[in-house]
Amino acid sequence: MSAEGATARDPRILVFSTTGISDPGIDLAGSAHMNYPPGVTVIGIPCSSGVRPDWLVHAIEKGFDGVFVAADGGDCALVPDCTARTAWAMERAQQMLSERGMDPRRLKMGAICSVCAEPFVNHMKQFGDTLRKL
Amino acid sequence: MDYDALIVGGGIAGMQSALTLGDMGYRVLLVEKEPSIGGRMILLSKVFPTLDCASCISTPKMATTAHHPNITVMTSADIDGIERDTDGSFIARVRKKSTFVDPTACIGCAECERECTVAIADRFNFDLIASRAIHIAFPQAVPKKAVIASDGISPCTYTCPGGVEAHGYVSLVRAGLYEEAFRLHMKDAPLPGSLSRLCYAPCEKQCTRALAEGKIEIRGAKRFMTDYYYDRHPVPEYGVPADRNGKRVAVVGSGPAGLTAAYFLARNGYAVTIFESAREAGGVLRDATPPYRLPRAVLERDLHNITALGVEIRTRTDVASVADLKAQGFDAVFIAPGTMKAKEIDIPGKDLGGVVDPLTFLKSAIDSKIDLAGKRVAVVGGGSVAVDSARMALRCGAREVDIYYRRSRKEMPAHETDVQAALDEGVKLHELRAPMRFVGEGGRLTAIALQETKLGAPDASKRAAPEPVAGSETEVAAEVVIVAVGLLPGADLFPGEMERRRDGTLVTNKETLATSLVGVYAARNAIIDPTMIIQSIALGKRAAFHMDRYLRGESEPASFDLRLPRVTHEEVLSRNAITTRAPEKMRMLDPLERARSNAEIEVALSEDAVRAETGRCLDCGICSQCHQCVETCPADAIHFDMRPELVSVRVRSTLLATGFQLFDARRKPLYGYGRHANVVTAMQMDRLLAPTRPYNAVLRPSDGKAPSNIAFVLCTGSRDCTVDSRLCSRVCCMYSIKQAQLLMGALPLAEVTIYFMDIRAFGKGYDEFFEQAKGMGVYFVKGRVAKIEETTDGDLLVSHEDISGGAGKTVAQHDLVVLSVGLTANPKAFSILKDANVEADAFNFVREVDEDLEPGRTTMEGVFVAGTAAGIRDIPDTIVHASAAALQVAAYLRTGEVNQ
Repeated sequence: MSAEGATARDPRILVFSTTGISDPGIDLAGSAHMNYPPGVTVIGIPCSSGVRPDWLVHAIEKGFDGVFVAADGGDCALVPDCTARTAWAMERAQQMLSERGMDPRRLKMGAICSVCAEPFVNHMKQFGDTLRKL
Repeated sequence: MDYDALIVGGGIAGMQSALTLGDMGYRVLLVEKEPSIGGRMILLSKVFPTLDCASCISTPKMATTAHHPNITVMTSADIDGIERDTDGSFIARVRKKSTFVDPTACIGCAECERECTVAIADRFNFDLIASRAIHIAFPQAVPKKAVIASDGISPCTYTCPGGVEAHGYVSLVRAGLYEEAFRLHMKDAPLPGSLSRLCYAPCEKQCTRALAEGKIEIRGAKRFMTDYYYDRHPVPEYGVPADRNGKRVAVVGSGPAGLTAAYFLARNGYAVTIFESAREAGGVLRDATPPYRLPRAVLERDLHNITALGVEIRTRTDVASVADLKAQGFDAVFIAPGTMKAKEIDIPGKDLGGVVDPLTFLKSAIDSKIDLAGKRVAVVGGGSVAVDSARMALRCGAREVDIYYRRSRKEMPAHETDVQAALDEGVKLHELRAPMRFVGEGGRLTAIALQETKLGAPDASKRAAPEPVAGSETEVAAEVVIVAVGLLPGADLFPGEMERRRDGTLVTNKETLATSLVGVYAARNAIIDPTMIIQSIALGKRAAFHMDRYLRGESEPASFDLRLPRVTHEEVLSRNAITTRAPEKMRMLDPLERARSNAEIEVALSEDAVRAETGRCLDCGICSQCHQCVETCPADAIHFDMRPELVSVRVRSTLLATGFQLFDARRKPLYGYGRHANVVTAMQMDRLLAPTRPYNAVLRPSDGKAPSNIAFVLCTGSRDCTVDSRLCSRVCCMYSIKQAQLLMGALPLAEVTIYFMDIRAFGKGYDEFFEQAKGMGVYFVKGRVAKIEETTDGDLLVSHEDISGGAGKTVAQHDLVVLSVGLTANPKAFSILKDANVEADAFNFVREVDEDLEPGRTTMEGVFVAGTAAGIRDIPDTIVHASAAALQVAAYLRTGEVNQ
């Protein structure tokens, strides 16, 4: 899914997703022909705790309307406490956004499992709505 | 020692055992035959009675297994055999199947699936929807890598002497990718125009569809795609290769063999010069192929495929000697002069004017240099040259054309279709007639004296030898006689330079075609029957392969032919249910219209016809090797030269986690599975209910309608002596109740009926689960189903006896029937340990020495069993059993360490 074809009304959302758990769920949303906002771009990473706060801020500064981190929610095969670590990175990034005068609601985190196609689609719709209002 | 434990099977049991052992520090090798680990559980909708999501539980386990530092996972791998060594360890031979995709390069993007031209049933969705020959098993697959399904090489492709991938281009034509089909052909052979008109098409003779309503017109597909391409590309799309290597090759002869060798060598960067003694290039295609078979424009365009690469063709140029070529600076030479001369017939009058040899005749006739108006032409012989000469004589205006053959029509070496075509055009055939002498006046032929023959005992050629009939002499008037009684190798080329056989032909290495002179290669034999040019193309291609190796200085012997084994017709037919579809055939112009014209007589198939015809292809080998995936793969991960790999590993212990087999519902014919579209198995229903389901909805197969009245038939293939499956498979009652509950959720208005013998709800919370289903409104009918019939609108009539309800023998109507199929033993567990002492129990599961006290231990020391390989159990019990078996393995390994 690329951000091409996004219109002014469609917020550009960058998604970090884990290759083992969240990616299959997001893939499934596509292969099941579910609709979600077209401005979504997905980057796969091994574990959500690998995102660095400055990446998230960088993405917003470079023009993404929002960044969504799809975490494994305890299912991670690599790092047992990855959810807590990801949460820390999110919190730090939100602080950094506030310091730079941007809305911390542009960053969001959610658990997406390997079959969470529908929850992912709902997340994207809701997050898109939120971003549109900012 | 390579590993502490080998685990066979990567389902939930295998993964659980691997993780338990891996966590304890043991090094584990997990071998899985499928492209992904996860087994059956990852494909299920929910687990009972908690209704937890099966794939959400499985994926983290799969990911953890794959990432575990102590666990090595080999997918798409079979155990070829396990042997016990004297020290008590095992040597396992693991066969890594060739998936044709390099897993280290594949990035799992699935771009290849979009381009694949072969549709197959998706077995991970239990054939409910289509998948592609190249596919990622399912979105949650671990590892998430594409694999290519292949049963072997398709018979058509396998049989082509020139290695033209017939299945590949048929599959591309079927997909409407005509230009891609042409380009695939050009990868394999450079003369598609000529082949599409002339080839005797050995591929068609091997077509599996010939065993049904008729072979596929493969040559017709080639004809269509070539015409389509040549129409749109009057000149080749490519030019001289950019990376020339500076080496020069001389090719003697511009027939199909020489042209092919030049083409492949030029593509590899060599500067190639072809020397041709005739006025124009093409050899047999130019001089002996009548234009009504091969229009000159097509031949010219075929030649352009070769010259566009910068190949220089020097016509009217004789080569003095090989030494001379070397002196001119050529690094290698390929000799393919294809010279043949007509065999003479030693009878009186053979030197009369009007007695001509067929090669000279054909050449002049093709060049329109002969006018036979008003003449009577006789042709002696029965081969393709004789028949072509006769047909060309007609086109040169001959009044009458008669073929005299000394055997009967049946023995004629010419193709029967050509003989018939000649007769249709007006040629007369006289069987069992041999010439005795040619009669002339003033040095010119006026008549032929013939005598009758009869067929005697078989001669050296294994055909009946013609014997003259005494006193049967007759004389027929003729002004021209073409003596086409056979061909001999031509003039001695380059005498004294290379070793020769007694008949004067060059001695060449059978594999490499190398002559006795280093760097000089030669085509073994020449062909004159233009239908056989693929044989010459094969020689040219082979020579180019070995010449390239020679010129690159590679000394290791290599084989040109590296074909994988071919799939058998029986395998293909057992896989496909074939419906009859009328074959399309290329037709010929009307005989009266074509007989006196040089216009091409065979009419190409229309686009609609060629699509319908190629649509009949059965995809025998599954993957057609159309190379579309190779072209599109962004990671360059697909390699058709990949071959299976056999790896030997030494392990201290073996754990069998080979799982179960689902009962084949076709074995209960009265239930109509496979005949009635809306009778599905419970595994298919689980797919329809899973979050990863096809269609993202519960639909019935026949018409895609959401079902409103669904029936479950319990004990299909379990507790049933009639199919030799008397064991209760333990999980069917519960999974059916689970599916019933999920259906009530997915389709709130649907009625669900379960036909059962007994409900066995024995586990924790299971009976409550059963009661909950009853409370939700699921109908439970105690009674065995006798048969299932189909109504015209696809509904199903379920005949059964209602025992508890007292309704007696009744027929109920449902719009979808689910067969709750039983689980049976997987014989695979025993085939991998061939000679070992692993015993089976009474139901063919792996026998545990003491099920109550020593779970997981088999009758052979060091070999253990986990999960359903030892007996049917549900998922929680399987996990308990797999953990127990892993601990048995650990205890065994630890004991060995302590005793050392």
